[in-house]
Amino acid sequence: MAFEQPACRVCEFTLVSRLFCFSCNALQPFPLEVDFFEVLGFPISFEIKSAELEERYQQLSLELHPDFYGSAPEAEKRLSETATAVLNTAYNTLREPTSRAGYLLHLLAQKQKLDERSLPDGFLGEMFFLQEALDELLESGNADELSGMRDEMRKRQKDIEADYAPLFKRLKDHPEDSEILQQLQTHLNAERYLRRLLGRIPA
Amino acid sequence: MAYSEKVIDHYSEPRNVGSFDKSAANVGTGLVGAPECGDVMKLQIQVDPETKEIVDAKFKTFGCGSAIASSSLATEWVKGKSIDEAMSIQNTEIVEELSLPPVKIHCSVLAEDAIKAAIADYKSRNED
Ligand code: FES
Repeated sequence: MAFEQPACRVCEFTLVSRLFCFSCNALQPFPLEVDFFEVLGFPISFEIKSAELEERYQQLSLELHPDFYGSAPEAEKRLSETATAVLNTAYNTLREPTSRAGYLLHLLAQKQKLDERSLPDGFLGEMFFLQEALDELLESGNADELSGMRDEMRKRQKDIEADYAPLFKRLKDHPEDSEILQQLQTHLNAERYLRRLLGRIPA
Repeated sequence: MAYSEKVIDHYSEPRNVGSFDKSAANVGTGLVGAPECGDVMKLQIQVDPETKEIVDAKFKTFGCGSAIASSSLATEWVKGKSIDEAMSIQNTEIVEELSLPPVKIHCSVLAEDAIKAAIADYKSRNED
């Protein structure tokens, strides 16, 4: 997705991150609704190399660190604090594939009316059934069956996660396709139920 | 987060936990979930076919303390009401009764949805 690259307020160098100029080291005032991709300086896309994300994060958190602005004017000091907070939220949101998918969907679906509660057919009934079955397993303490259930649920979760990349890729070619958006929403919802269930199975 | 006394009361001693035979003609079953957190709730009502009054209710919730308390309270509230009266129960009343904080509002929504789903299920299987 194309977006306008903003320039540094001091040296007019094209900014990588919306928060900081790597050319002249100036903090950049940023709009409240800055998106997390801009914060870390990545194009709005599901595909992010985690090593690159990690490196950019480390770099920025060093540059923005409030310790460096101890003797700076009050406004700069405060800017470095808010920038650091935003940077951390952005990084935590984008680093994990599921939360990245959720955030990206939220960005892309803004104008679309999605059914936010959608689930695959019969899924809710199955989850309820599994939760009840888990109660019984927990009571009987059957370790084999518990780990069997855990493996199966993890596998289903992995299968869902494996779908995010191809779905977002298809969305790039058909940006307005609400069916793809809805499918992503359904996946994200289903994953939350699986996580909830997995959270009750002792490791 | 601090739970209110009423939440703790319902949570530690939930009323009407259990289930009815969902295929029975006088039973309505509502199964709902909260995609925000992945919690699931089943609420069932037993209806007197003559008077259309809810004579008993049961629930089972896999979720947070507020969701358990909300559904426990919901089963108490629907008992003795006509299905039309029960239909008008709002989640805001549950929020108020249990003093739920804003982050727990979706838990009370779950209970309202469960009541409505149970009534809808009962009606769909008992159309005159
Ligand atoms: S946190 Fe999920 S219903 Fe309360």
